[in-house]
Amino acid sequence: MSTPLSQALATLRRRHGEGVIRSGDALGGVEAWPTGLPILDQRLTPGGLPVGRISLLAAAPGASGRLTLLQALTSAASRERIAVYLDLVGSLDPGFLADLGADLTSLLVVRPPSGRWEEGLAMARSLVGAGAPWLAVALPGAEPLQRPGLRSGAGWEHRLTSLVESVSTHRAVCLVSAASPLPPALGYAASLTLDCAAGGWEEAHGDVLGLRTRLTLVKSKVSVPGETAVLLLRYPRPFATAQAVGRPALVDLPLTTDVTDVSLSAAG
Amino acid sequence: MVGGSRFLCARFPHLALVVTWRAHPELRSEPVVVGGAPELRLPVLAASEAARTSGVRPGQPLREAQQRCPGAAFVALDETATARLHEELFTQLHRLAPTVEVGDEAAWCDLSGRHAAHSDGAGWAIAIARSINQLLDDDGIAVGVAGSRLVAEIAARQAGPRRIRRVAEGEEAAFLAPLPLSVLPMDPAVATRLAALGLDCVGAVANLSAADLQRQFGPAGMDLWRRARGGDGVGEWQFGHGFGPPAPPRRLGERVILEGGTGDLETLRFAVHRSALELGDRLRHRGCRAAAVTLVCELEDAEPAGLRITPLQPPGSGAELWPVALELLAGLRLVAPVTAVRLEVEGLRPGTGRQVDLWRGGDAAGEEIDGAASRLRARFGRAAVRRAELAVDPGDLPERRFRWAEPVAQVDGEGHGSPLAGTASAPAAAEERTPAVSGAPVAAMPALRR
Repeated sequence: MSTPLSQALATLRRRHGEGVIRSGDALGGVEAWPTGLPILDQRLTPGGLPVGRISLLAAAPGASGRLTLLQALTSAASRERIAVYLDLVGSLDPGFLADLGADLTSLLVVRPPSGRWEEGLAMARSLVGAGAPWLAVALPGAEPLQRPGLRSGAGWEHRLTSLVESVSTHRAVCLVSAASPLPPALGYAASLTLDCAAGGWEEAHGDVLGLRTRLTLVKSKVSVPGETAVLLLRYPRPFATAQAVGRPALVDLPLTTDVTDVSLSAAG
Repeated sequence: MVGGSRFLCARFPHLALVVTWRAHPELRSEPVVVGGAPELRLPVLAASEAARTSGVRPGQPLREAQQRCPGAAFVALDETATARLHEELFTQLHRLAPTVEVGDEAAWCDLSGRHAAHSDGAGWAIAIARSINQLLDDDGIAVGVAGSRLVAEIAARQAGPRRIRRVAEGEEAAFLAPLPLSVLPMDPAVATRLAALGLDCVGAVANLSAADLQRQFGPAGMDLWRRARGGDGVGEWQFGHGFGPPAPPRRLGERVILEGGTGDLETLRFAVHRSALELGDRLRHRGCRAAAVTLVCELEDAEPAGLRITPLQPPGSGAELWPVALELLAGLRLVAPVTAVRLEVEGLRPGTGRQVDLWRGGDAAGEEIDGAASRLRARFGRAAVRRAELAVDPGDLPERRFRWAEPVAQVDGEGHGSPLAGTASAPAAAEERTPAVSGAPVAAMPALRR
């Protein structure tokens, strides 16, 4: 017997297609892109970074390892698919990416000539819309975020919304690295937010070999938030001159969990 | 076939070899390699048939050619004499055919229509073949005549020396059908995939639908379909020749005349909107998308003002074209009343998408991404989207370890909202329409002033 509800559902399906209305249990699990880092895939993000959603690496300004982690994951992605790196920071070193094992022929580096976020996000959206399956966005430090135009959420929030829609429609993986404090729109758009905090340098014989980073899953729409883990980001080559050129002060954090040693080099 | 086109292809020994034989008749039956002394680090430019049987090929290093054929005579290229012979051959053929193209080892003539001095096409072809034979004084000339340039060349290869192979009109596909696929020029990867499916002759590919080939191989699939049916690939001769649908015009335009001139913003919006919808309908009717959009406002007693833009998403309908046109209109600086509005789209290409490749993943997506990157470069500059590659000889500095690779392709159009150079003399679009009703009366428009 047809009820008004069933008639309305039939009308919507006839007008907009069968897939427009589904029951909640038919949506299935969240598709994920495995990062290859067990601590991330098994503990923090179930199965890897969620596909079709925005993932966020957030950190306080300073050496936290978020850009290194972003570039390491981008390098891993470029070995299996076309990856896009939106460099709004202007600090990308392709040589370092190559040391991390990136396939540079599969990596498109996008840098808006004006340096404006809106343009960069529009460019990224265009590439994602064309089918780019992996997008990394490196946002600048905290100071540019304090600009009135960004705080009030002018044009760039509209671009961000468009990017979120495009990522969702085209089933892309999008990983954004941003310094705290986060713009509210960005924090809202992210389905998964990993907070990065420096845990100290890894040194041997005066050389800096890596950086400990404590990752905290502060927000997740695809799993239970609150998990914490520590990564040791081992640099692909030792930085013997780090002391000479200066580096941020060490941050001494109590390590509440086991340290996971992750070699970022391609050979490792 | 369009308009009964006929092409002649004549294959002959490399002109540099002919020059060599003229200078050294004793070498005519000997293996000869043109390029220079084998000690030089240069490639082989031409090789006689005797040298080719020993494995010598043009493009090989001369040293390798010497190893393959130790008894060959190595001679230097006589550039002056070769160029003179090239010009003589061109002039000779041009007396016999209106359109001629001469290469180093082959020449093509357009035999479409009739020649007053020859009763039929066969006599015309024989006259051309005899002319080439007389000039080059060589018996190795083979001639093919067919309805397309490619089939004429294949017919010449099949004919053999001192023979003319004529493929009757409309029989090109039947002629090609039993031949192996290797006679058609194609990407080796495509050939491998076709062979894996058991498609080993041209006829088997010709029987596939164009849509299937287009879906699997993209534009190369359409070219392959045309060639397998006896046509030429797009752009190989000229538009309109060969088989398949004619290529779309490169530019479309709509022009709306505003009576008396106006500076009323709402009137201009109305005119641009109308142009965008009309133009969008024509794009949709043709199944095309535009790489660049131009808006020109013709001004009263002043130079026209125009802007060109490369949209991030190529518009293919009125709804997609209207926001782009509106953005252009907002960017124009109008210093006088506008008498006409001209909206043009350029860089038209098929708007249909391509199915994701089921046999070999990634390439179709790669084409789309490359296209999007090209549009971004066209709009924001070449440095907007780049690929890096490691330097062969890196230095100590980090920035010397890599270099930015040049983009592989550019789409038509200029940068974002770039003003048009020489707008005053901007040529009319290839297919431009001026509506009979010259825009709506200005008085009927809402009086919103800028």
